[in-house]
Amino acid sequence: MMELMTTAFATALLAGAVTAGVPLLLAGLGEQMSQKSGVLNIGLEGMMLAGAYAAFVAALGTGDPWWGFAAGMVAGMGIAALMALLAVCLGLNQIVIGIALLLGVEGATAILHHLAFATTYPRLPPAPSWALPGLSHLPVVGPALFDRSPVVYAAVALVAVMVWIDRRTGFGLSLRAAGEHPSALDAAGGSVVRTRVAAVLAAGAGAGLGGAFMVIVGAGIFVPFMTNGAGFIAIVLAMLARGRPLMVLCGALLFGACLSATTALQVAGIDAPTDVVQMLPFAAVLLVLAIFGQGGALPAALGEAWTRGNPLGK
Amino acid sequence: MRNGFTIDASSRRRAPRAFRRLASANFGWANLGSEFLGSAMPWAGAKLAMLVVAACLVHAAPAKADELSTIAILAPEAATDFGWNQQGVAAARAAADKAGVKVLVAENLGYDDVRPVLRELAEDGAGLLIAHASGYNTAAPEIGAELGVPVAITDRPQAREPGKVADYTASGHEGAYLAGRLAGRLSRTGTLGIVTSGEPPGWNSQSAAFAQGARAEKPDIVIRYAVIGPAAYSDAAGARRVTETVIAAGADIIFGQGNGSSFGMLAAVEATPAVDGGKVWFIDVIGDKTPIDKGHLLSSVIWNLEPVFSAIIADVKAGTFGERNYGIALRDDSVSLLKTPHIPEDAWRHIEGIRQDIIDGKITLTPVFDAAGVHALVTSATRAP
Repeated sequence: MMELMTTAFATALLAGAVTAGVPLLLAGLGEQMSQKSGVLNIGLEGMMLAGAYAAFVAALGTGDPWWGFAAGMVAGMGIAALMALLAVCLGLNQIVIGIALLLGVEGATAILHHLAFATTYPRLPPAPSWALPGLSHLPVVGPALFDRSPVVYAAVALVAVMVWIDRRTGFGLSLRAAGEHPSALDAAGGSVVRTRVAAVLAAGAGAGLGGAFMVIVGAGIFVPFMTNGAGFIAIVLAMLARGRPLMVLCGALLFGACLSATTALQVAGIDAPTDVVQMLPFAAVLLVLAIFGQGGALPAALGEAWTRGNPLGK
Repeated sequence: MRNGFTIDASSRRRAPRAFRRLASANFGWANLGSEFLGSAMPWAGAKLAMLVVAACLVHAAPAKADELSTIAILAPEAATDFGWNQQGVAAARAAADKAGVKVLVAENLGYDDVRPVLRELAEDGAGLLIAHASGYNTAAPEIGAELGVPVAITDRPQAREPGKVADYTASGHEGAYLAGRLAGRLSRTGTLGIVTSGEPPGWNSQSAAFAQGARAEKPDIVIRYAVIGPAAYSDAAGARRVTETVIAAGADIIFGQGNGSSFGMLAAVEATPAVDGGKVWFIDVIGDKTPIDKGHLLSSVIWNLEPVFSAIIADVKAGTFGERNYGIALRDDSVSLLKTPHIPEDAWRHIEGIRQDIIDGKITLTPVFDAAGVHALVTSATRAP
């Protein structure tokens, strides 16, 4: 193992951890906002996939990854708008709608990809990065952490923004009320529907941006079904983090780090069953968040459609 | 038209798996039927009874094997992946053409439950179901037994049952051995990488043979082996991340095995220089990605499943289906190594000689199908001398 630990290898591992963790962070923060408002957004994976495809098309068509990131967010919000219409405004079952949206997006993106790119499989040019002065030249951590896509820095900054929204703004208060006691919000003159719609749209934006990051920075190419369950991992991260954005950050980075660790163990030639090695990220995140995520609770009205006159909406 | 979508009767594409899942989901139609029976419409009950009797008659008298007129193939991803799915569907079409039978193609089905699709294809007249994914090798024999249709599965040789189930765990290990010999000869850094999307038997036998070939060519070669994730067949981002790490560990030639994920591997070798600053080469499996190559495709272990599917069809017609398993080999060109312009002539001549030695039996290769066997081989080759 030690002979492997060159600067290049350590940098690749650390960079890989960040690349794998950022989509989970973006989608997880969005999902957490949605869950706080009482909407369990099972369609998150579909929003990521829609974001990934739209980002790929836009970045490829314009040659500008920024249009790709923007298109990814818009596409994610588009699917989220459907979720909001059906599950929030019309009060249909959130889980059924979420699954239906995921299946629909999987099918639609596979067909669109087949029609447009199945014989050419175009690749995107390398994504631009911003080198942070004074830090980017540090060995290993410099290129892995401080010479990255601006979206990486934005994702980390978003954690602070989410904490601020949660603790310092009226919208944060409305969000919690919509999830904990929607009738109280309604009685206070707030709009449960508007609050939940805004939260679901934010989740779509986060998931779409996460999908865009996955395709523009992570893979450099789109293939059908490429999110490969990342949206569901983000949902689990958001649930285990119990309302705390910082815990989503920790969970996402831990998951990414463990993914890199599993690769390192395999590359080093550890003689252990692959299934055991690859359980590491899931086991580590469950363990850490189960221990440190205590003290919070999931919103009382999570998953419940709201109707006036019922405390939890049933 | 069934359940709101069209079955591909010749070679047209089917609706995507998402729509098919929705279309074939049970929304309670069975209950609706029983409600009709109890209603004031006795003719509906009579019609249903006639339908049941007809269905029983059809079920009791399956088409004779020598009357095979239609086969079906189910593939998990689009048949445009320059790999497993494309090769499988193309081979099924070619074998069907050769045998003068129709082929129903169901692609992009994903890796979940395909029982509804299997049933539909059988009901649409398929006299042979080719379940072209290791993930289908439990469901397909179940549905085959239920409907009396022979099924061909992969990666489960022990499930063979005369008249009912045959396995075509195709192993391209002879081709992978040649790829290992080529990589061992051409590597500049003395380190090779193997990246796979999972550990099904077919991938394992090729990983092992690649390692054996590389070590036969250069005994002190170092091999770095990594699996992207559990069944990460379409995880292009994960594939790129893992491949970049393997390259950083010194590999200058990547032997990549994946479906959609192989495009992530390709993207990684195109974007990442080797530790010596030079180009990283990619050796693919099953298909030929030359049309989309940007100068990094060194070779590919090409499979041709047409002889396998032709043999299966012939056995169904002869009534000997399920009495043997099927494989691919260099001797009939169902396995071959792709020659690209990037391979020097002397290296290619060297590989051709080894190929002939394998065909002549001077070199014997035993496939290693289990993951533990691959790990043992790769681990012994991982440690630098």
